[in-house]
Amino acid sequence: MDFGLDDEQTMIVQTIRRFTDRDLRAWAADADRAGAAPEKLAATAGEMGFFLDAVPADAGGLLEGAYSHTTRALRGFELGRGCAAMAALLEANVEPSLAVAKWGDDAAKKAVFAALEGGGLATTWRDARGSLSIDGDRVTGKIGPAPALARASFVLVIADGLVTILPVGGAKALDPAPTSWRACAWGTMQVDGLSGFTLARGGAAPAVSEEILSWWKTSLAARAAGVAAAAMEHADKYGRERVQFGQPIGKFESLIRLRDDAETGSAAARLMALHAAWAIDHGRSATAAHDAASRARAFAGDVVAKATIDAVQILGGYGFVNDYPVEKLMRDARGFDAVVGDERLDRALAIKATIGAEA
Amino acid sequence: MDIFDGNPMLQGVRQMLGAFAKQSIRPIAPKHDREESMPWDLMKQAQGFGLTQTAVIDGRKALTGQEEETDVKKPSSNARISCIGSEELAWGCAGICLALGGSGLAASPVARMGTEEQKAVFRAALKGPDDKGHIKVAAMALSEPSTGSDISGLSTAARQDGDHWVINGHKQWITNGASASIYVVWAQTDPAAGRAGVRGFLVTRGTPGLVPGRKETKLGIRASETAQVHFEDCRVHKDMMLGIGSSEHAGGLADTKKMLDSTRPVVGAQGVGIARAAFEYLLDRVRSAELRGTPMASHQHLAFELAEMEMEIQASRMLVHRAAWMADHHQDNVRFASMAKAHAARTAQLVTTRAMTLLGDEALESPVDKWYRDAKIYDIFEGTGQIQRRIIAKNLLGVNPT
Repeated sequence: MDFGLDDEQTMIVQTIRRFTDRDLRAWAADADRAGAAPEKLAATAGEMGFFLDAVPADAGGLLEGAYSHTTRALRGFELGRGCAAMAALLEANVEPSLAVAKWGDDAAKKAVFAALEGGGLATTWRDARGSLSIDGDRVTGKIGPAPALARASFVLVIADGLVTILPVGGAKALDPAPTSWRACAWGTMQVDGLSGFTLARGGAAPAVSEEILSWWKTSLAARAAGVAAAAMEHADKYGRERVQFGQPIGKFESLIRLRDDAETGSAAARLMALHAAWAIDHGRSATAAHDAASRARAFAGDVVAKATIDAVQILGGYGFVNDYPVEKLMRDARGFDAVVGDERLDRALAIKATIGAEA
Repeated sequence: MDIFDGNPMLQGVRQMLGAFAKQSIRPIAPKHDREESMPWDLMKQAQGFGLTQTAVIDGRKALTGQEEETDVKKPSSNARISCIGSEELAWGCAGICLALGGSGLAASPVARMGTEEQKAVFRAALKGPDDKGHIKVAAMALSEPSTGSDISGLSTAARQDGDHWVINGHKQWITNGASASIYVVWAQTDPAAGRAGVRGFLVTRGTPGLVPGRKETKLGIRASETAQVHFEDCRVHKDMMLGIGSSEHAGGLADTKKMLDSTRPVVGAQGVGIARAAFEYLLDRVRSAELRGTPMASHQHLAFELAEMEMEIQASRMLVHRAAWMADHHQDNVRFASMAKAHAARTAQLVTTRAMTLLGDEALESPVDKWYRDAKIYDIFEGTGQIQRRIIAKNLLGVNPT
């Protein structure tokens, strides 16, 4: 057990924190209003190693050796403190990159890594309700809404019995842009018998799905914890300045309680995400790692929902207007429940399946 | 409790406004939410059946077809009618409901404390179209940049100068603040008197020194206009001060606070309407959709969530109607009014948040997103959830906890 960070992780956290405090927070409100990330995001974040961090070095990327999900979770928390929408864009390439490197054939690697190296985006979508129709390697139905899909070159689709990377063509941006993660280029795509690069099929698909989902859920949990932390940073600052009934409102016990619970929740969600990342990095079974990631994500989703609603509450009328940052955070909290699927339902169905049919 | 035994007048209001909400409000709600615009045409249409901007002063005959009870000692149905109607309108769209009723915030103190002359001034100010061709609306200006929950700390000041009061100050979060044709502004006339010195004044648009300010961009209730209003040496005749010539009403802040006891159940009812909207949307979805080849309705995971939501919604509505019934029967309802408002606000947030989670990515393109954003204000305006709990706690313990 070691809760400390190594030198490299410390440096990364400090760097990302600076990036968040100086850039992401400065850009977040305008990006939200515009429904698009600023042009400079790609260049600035690209210089910092985003987008290609999970692409192997021999394929033109920056990854040498094993990918560290722990470092990614640390980074995700800091990005969440900045802007959930831009964080979704910055993290979008990771799952497709790692999945193609691990299960893709040469053609898949060549096509996907070339697109990413050229500045392209890839994203991931899970068919949570089982609504796609799968015929061998071919996919029919509606893909999305998924973050980044409106700007992506490839989408990693996780469906029942198939994990595949599909080329994106004719994706439509959601119009109007959803109010959550507005700058993340939400898109949908209708496909009819489309095939791409199959990563796993049939009986092999569940294990591959589980592994990819454990990466994704861990990152989402870390980012959600970061959004919750940011909400309470704003609430704390406001509570110290705003005077009502003759005292700073931050002194009222009921508001201390709201903030305190949110900070406990955010810290716990961050630790759960780090624990799931540790399980992945240390080669724990895919099932155990996924279980940790799933619980982290469900818990972090609850935490960020309550923390952001309570931050708006603490800021009161100011919290409700767009001049202050917390109403955006309350909208952004929803994004964490709008991807991957309903964690608790999935677990209930999985547990049901393990209990004998005689009952 | 005549909501249980099918009081025909209350049922009639529910049916009429429910149909109006479904046919006229729902179809235009997304547009006004997106554009953050007032539903002027609908507001005009609504006047046709009694939802006028002066309804609070004129009585509700147009809406109910019945003469209003004028004997103040006898029970009335006003609070219950308002609650039932508001629930239906907010079910349609909370922002539009507030746009339809926004002038009522200003009309209430005029109805309660105004002289006949002041009522006439108020009515006249709302006659005919404004310079944009819209129906005219009124605004109540109470909150200030540094005075939200604690309304006793108002800094807007009124100084007497001959036959006039000269008002200076800034108001914030004012419903209809940019568009109103008449304002009821609250200002401190005597700092030494504290709360007792705070009085309301009628100020018509165009009065020199009355400067409607910037419109706010908000999380929700975006069809209802919220703006700043500035008063810069604004001179108002002394006859336009509320409470003059009345022995019963001092016209001060205490009367305003008393008024909140009757409006809180109505605000709670709107919270119930939002919760019901999200609940019904999810219910329809669970009834009709499949989940991995099985009916959604066959899953306890979803079905019990609906059961939970229904319990909370019904409980909120009972509290709302209890508080309204007490108001109609002239009973002290302060604790119940606060409980109704706080509980309904919590229910609206709980139901919309859970519905968003359960709908997953479908929620992004569904109306539940709007209801989620609309619900939050119900825990903030007309006394935050904390203020309601403070009132309830003080009622229970006799002290103001901090």
